[in-house]
Amino acid sequence: MIETPAQLAELRASARKILLNGRPKALVGMATCGLATGALRVHEALLAASERRDSSLLVCETGCNGACFLEPLVDVVLPGQARITYANVTPEDAEELVASALEGTVYAKRALARSNAEFFLIEDFSSPYGNADLAPEVEKVPLYSQVPFFRDQMHLAMRNCGLIDPASLDEYIAKGGYAAASKALTEMAPEEIIAAIKRSGLRGRGGGGFPTGRKWETCRKAHGEPRYVICNADEGDPGAYMDRAIIEGDPHSIIEGMIIGSYAIGARQGFVYVRQEYPLAVKRIRKALAQAEECGLLGRNIFGSGHDFTIRVNRGAGAFVCGESTALMASLEGRVGEPRAKYIHTVESGLWGKPSCLNNVETWNNVPVIIARGADWFAGIGTEGSKGTKVFSLVGKVNRVGLIEVPMGVSLRKVVEEIGGGIPDGRQFKAIQTGGPSGGCIPAQYLDTPVDFESLTALGSMMGSGGMIVMDDRTCMVDVARYFLGFLKEESCGKCVPCREGTARMLDILTDICEGRGRTGDIELLHDLAEGITDGSLCALGTSAPNPVLTTLKYFESEYRAHVEEHRCPAKVCRALIRYRIDPEKCTGCSLCAAGCPKKVIAGERKKTYTIDQSGCIKCGLCLDACRFDAVVVE
Amino acid sequence: MKEGGNVPFTLDGKAVEAGPGETVLSVAKRIGVHIPTLCHHDAVSPYGACRLCVVEVFWGKRSKIVTSCIYTPYENDIVKTGTDRVRHTRRIVLELLLARCPQVEALHELGREYGVETPRFRADGPEREERCILCGLCIRVCGEVVGQHAIGYANRGPARVVTTPFADRSEECIGCGACVFVCPTGAIHYEDVDGARLMKEWKTELPLVRCGTCGEAFATERQVEKVRSLLNLPDEIAATCPRCRGTTHRLLMEKTLVSGGSIF
Repeated sequence: MIETPAQLAELRASARKILLNGRPKALVGMATCGLATGALRVHEALLAASERRDSSLLVCETGCNGACFLEPLVDVVLPGQARITYANVTPEDAEELVASALEGTVYAKRALARSNAEFFLIEDFSSPYGNADLAPEVEKVPLYSQVPFFRDQMHLAMRNCGLIDPASLDEYIAKGGYAAASKALTEMAPEEIIAAIKRSGLRGRGGGGFPTGRKWETCRKAHGEPRYVICNADEGDPGAYMDRAIIEGDPHSIIEGMIIGSYAIGARQGFVYVRQEYPLAVKRIRKALAQAEECGLLGRNIFGSGHDFTIRVNRGAGAFVCGESTALMASLEGRVGEPRAKYIHTVESGLWGKPSCLNNVETWNNVPVIIARGADWFAGIGTEGSKGTKVFSLVGKVNRVGLIEVPMGVSLRKVVEEIGGGIPDGRQFKAIQTGGPSGGCIPAQYLDTPVDFESLTALGSMMGSGGMIVMDDRTCMVDVARYFLGFLKEESCGKCVPCREGTARMLDILTDICEGRGRTGDIELLHDLAEGITDGSLCALGTSAPNPVLTTLKYFESEYRAHVEEHRCPAKVCRALIRYRIDPEKCTGCSLCAAGCPKKVIAGERKKTYTIDQSGCIKCGLCLDACRFDAVVVE
Repeated sequence: MKEGGNVPFTLDGKAVEAGPGETVLSVAKRIGVHIPTLCHHDAVSPYGACRLCVVEVFWGKRSKIVTSCIYTPYENDIVKTGTDRVRHTRRIVLELLLARCPQVEALHELGREYGVETPRFRADGPEREERCILCGLCIRVCGEVVGQHAIGYANRGPARVVTTPFADRSEECIGCGACVFVCPTGAIHYEDVDGARLMKEWKTELPLVRCGTCGEAFATERQVEKVRSLLNLPDEIAATCPRCRGTTHRLLMEKTLVSGGSIF
């Protein structure tokens, strides 16, 4: 049981000793991203290899440190020396990896980066893995600060991701976990906590960017009992998985944030609303809640402060719109997940008509850091209007795909070119889509824009919850807009007319344009419709639904015009507007294209030229991929 | 302050007051300012879904489109019901609804007010027979007024429909026809044939009761039973059609007065 701050401190001291006990240790990144690339098999192989040697090597699970493009990742702590991160580890590497760990050397084949000390963000100190001189092969592994993917990152929200076992409360506590909650509940008045959160400048990380401290204050002052705090873990943007990684890698950080928030606001009941499609996250948060309850970090009289608080997990059934606060609360109440107008805010009348404070996973997760390190320290990171760091999921046509956490205000260029390592296959950068499906596409001329709430909004896009999709010159922007509108149309709850009917009609127009049926006036019609949907829709899903269309129209209007006026897709993506042809000059008659054609519409004689029968061609592009002589051209 | 007393604000240039919790739409109705609506009915709670009743609220230089059927004004709000932005939003809403339901005359009538003749969108063409605009009045009347909750929404987005559970014969429908009555677009139908009422869209057939006096089929058995039990009516009155009810009631009164008991 942890009933007093002193007991927590005692446990922290003993847990830290175990964490840094000098035994060689291997941590396998086993968040969903790791598991998808075979981390489970790597974990098993390492365990087996370690057992065969009857060794002292500890093989543990951990979350994702963000370098998803290098999964499966294994971190090995070499006692007395360093922590080595290995990338793209396969089960076949297990034997040699275990051997090297036991010998205190490096398995050079997979070594990616090293760190010489375990960093404790909450208390701001580093504990070196050893004082001994580093073995030369260890020294050869670059430091984290020398690896481009990590160099410019700053892990606050992801402070424990990939470093601790998410299933271990002891490890979380060893890293300074629950120290902020202990401090808040025993040394601070609720008003002081709210003042600190306000001063820190923390803004909601789920998309709205509303100042968190102000939200808490309004909720605390609102009339009505009981009050509720809610964690929105219904992350639904395509290609974005920041919150999943945080819950899977560091579930206690959210619970701690919610404990602090509940005390500041005066709530005794909390809810975590998490997607059913995140089974591992559900498992992790449930396990963490059980641990916290078992030792009295949740329940009655937490830290002897007199504050009672419990948290329940509710699983969302897969509706994107349930990430909207009022729809989420309706769903929590057991009703259809459908938004209502927020003329009266949920902080005043939310769940069951009671004052309810809903924050996103990353927002809650930031709270302990602010309390522990101080509001002024936090406010020193980032820009004037956007403080702290933000986790982004960087995906699409970029070399290093994964989760990145950077201070607010770094430029998009730094994100794409330095952290992301630029565009694969030597292609050209075309646009970056930020803010999820209802965000916008930002073109190359704005790459130097700082990533913060105001700057992204000024470009017609938004911060959103942190999705970033990089697009290269082979991306058709009309097709991109069509993709997102298709998503939003499916995910509209259907309550209000502009969103339900408007997104469907917008999609019709975009589909027509992509399929060569675009008509003069379509672009103007899209603008007109967009305005009506934005003004007329009930919730943020609808009011922001036209964004993908508006930003692509704003920055890539010529591409729309080429589709409509010339029936041409400049990026050569829209199938109805392109054709594949074989250049007789280049064709060697090798027949590879014909062999691969699923419709068998490529004919010719070996060692002479082949031709495509356009009438039967389905434009699948297999011939283009098959040809080794660049003889297949797209027009 | 929103709580407590009346809220003074300006509506189309007139200084007006909203009662506690009163919406802009209600104030507008009271003072004779016309705001078109589709999903609103005084008998049921507001839903704010059709977006036809939008108005523009100004605070200094800033303004916002709000839905008058659910928006309760703040002090000193300046509300305008006929700005370009309001008219544009309503026009788009009507255009979208007409693209969905080209057969509904009520929508054409409203459309003409806002200059919509033919919608500019490719829906499924004028032959499309959809009449339901998904305003949900039927659902609310069934739940809130009748108290049966026989119908609700199913699916989401463009696939959304109003239907009975599992789109099957309803256990809850009493065939009262309140949904038919309240529907603004004539999308719900019933038919009385051979001693039974068929609620067409709800695939539910309910036996009718014949009036004990004149013999005419006037309501469904379940409807009569519901009213009888709610009001604790004597069987004779419950089983009498509205036209004959006066006579039955009088006779019953006389009988009761003679015997000195109570009718109920």
